Amino acid sequence: MTAESAVGPAPAAFPLTRPGRPRLSKADHRRLRRRYEIGRVAVAIGFLLPNLFFLIVFLLWPLVQVFIEMFQTGGLIEPIRYVGLRNWERIFHDPVVIQTLGNSLRFAVIIIPTMLVLGLLIALVLQNVKRGGATLRALIYLPVLAPTVIAGLIWLFLLDPDLGAFNLFLRVIGAKPLIYLGSTDLALPSVAAMEVWRSIGFWALYFLAALIGMPRELYQAAHLDGANSVQRFRFVTLPLMRRVFLFAIVLATIFNLQIFDSVYVMTDGGPANTTATFVWYIYHALFFFYRTGFGATMAFLLLLIILALSLVQMRLLRRRIGV
Amino acid sequence: MLTTFSYAVTIVVALACSVPLFYILSTSLKDQQLLFTYPPNWIPSHLYWGNYTSLLFKTPFLRWVLNTLVVASSVTLIKVVFDSMAGYAFAKMRFPFRNALFVVVIMTMMIPFSAILIPLYFIIFNFGLLNTYWALILPPLANPIGIFLMRGFIEGLPNDLENAARLDGVSEFGIYLRIILPLVRPGLVVLAVLTFLTQYTSFIWPLVAVNDQSMQLITTGLATQRSVWQVNYGIFSAGAVMALVPIVAFFLLLQKQFIAASLAGALKQ
Repeated sequence: MTAESAVGPAPAAFPLTRPGRPRLSKADHRRLRRRYEIGRVAVAIGFLLPNLFFLIVFLLWPLVQVFIEMFQTGGLIEPIRYVGLRNWERIFHDPVVIQTLGNSLRFAVIIIPTMLVLGLLIALVLQNVKRGGATLRALIYLPVLAPTVIAGLIWLFLLDPDLGAFNLFLRVIGAKPLIYLGSTDLALPSVAAMEVWRSIGFWALYFLAALIGMPRELYQAAHLDGANSVQRFRFVTLPLMRRVFLFAIVLATIFNLQIFDSVYVMTDGGPANTTATFVWYIYHALFFFYRTGFGATMAFLLLLIILALSLVQMRLLRRRIGV
Repeated sequence: MLTTFSYAVTIVVALACSVPLFYILSTSLKDQQLLFTYPPNWIPSHLYWGNYTSLLFKTPFLRWVLNTLVVASSVTLIKVVFDSMAGYAFAKMRFPFRNALFVVVIMTMMIPFSAILIPLYFIIFNFGLLNTYWALILPPLANPIGIFLMRGFIEGLPNDLENAARLDGVSEFGIYLRIILPLVRPGLVVLAVLTFLTQYTSFIWPLVAVNDQSMQLITTGLATQRSVWQVNYGIFSAGAVMALVPIVAFFLLLQKQFIAASLAGALKQ
């Protein structure tokens, strides 16, 4: 074989396209090409490595750990023991797990429809607001900037039975002041109201972006066909927004099944666990009850629920991701 | 008619969203005694700075601000560099299993953070990093959203420029540094805003990763003071105002990027 030198004289059997110039043999060509390919893969790995390292150590490895811990008890104080599927049995027999799952669902059921319907309505009116629109949009968006715990602290003050603005208002109009976060009936809706307040601006702008992106020709055509504004909304906007809406529902469900920050600062799960969410209980399983396996099993259940929802989301998004 | 109605509704909504924040601002400038007066006065007759001075000088609040800035800027800086590199590799380079690897990265986006909280705590514990900046900075680096974003931004760039540079003998890293980075500046800003905002508002991880008073961030610091300050809403309000002012100022400067970032960030819970 002629593998000694990269640039050797061309074998006689090989026809030269331009006489007088050296030409690589086929083997040399293949060898150089291989080296180039290896170099290229090495460069790509070099560019990906810093990110992949962290993804593996702090995301995929913990995921594997959740799976292993699911079959264990102990770990923090007691020695680790393998217990098979006993943790699953325990979580389904623990009334608090069922209660926190229920609470998380109640949060989702209260927050999501309110937030999305209001968000869409605000987006629809924002469309007609031209002058001063930027200022008004910024004001609506302000709560979105607040870290959830800060928003929670603000509402803790607003909802205070003695000093809070809500009860001041009720006293002004002559109604009886209420106890919000201390009552088993009102605590969850109050936290939910805070969640709606702090995220409504986001959804308004999300829907506004979708509305602005709609093809204008369809509206003009509908207008020519004599459709009034309600009909245009019903027969043009809504069908076009279907995907946007579905995506928002899935996304909001994923967010709201994981409520923790607001509950942590506003009620810490109380009164009588009526606002305790699933994630709140995972946190408590580790830091208050030292039940790692139990917490990991709940975490795995949460993971399954979120994964199922994410798969739906992926289907909706597939075209945008482009893989 | 429609316009008037729209304005009316928008103004009501804008007030509902922003009035609590202005109310907090007003409360932070009032003596705690005045909170008990009835009817409440909205604009304090004289500005009372006591809440701010006790927050700044009698609590570790300034230390929390410093911690937050150190952590959020470190994460942002590292993420912008790493994610643009990975985004470039996924967008422009050809290597085996590229698409498969990218699908895996996208899949990791579905892992909710609260699901890996417990093992992550043990990993940091075993490294002996609890209560350090490392504990706050390293785990947030494992977030694939930036790779996804940067790939999208870089994919749209024309190949001709890089190829021209390649013919001139520029190395791949040189192309990344001198061709790709300047061209995706708008994308880098969106990613930086998104990362900074995520870090600035993050709560559950710092809550478990550090417990020293001096290592808290603004969010965890204020939240854990709840039982100490009880109903001292003046000092809470001052804290909330101090936490919000930088982010609001930042928002007013970079409004477009903020909204782009939060819409993009919606993909990751």
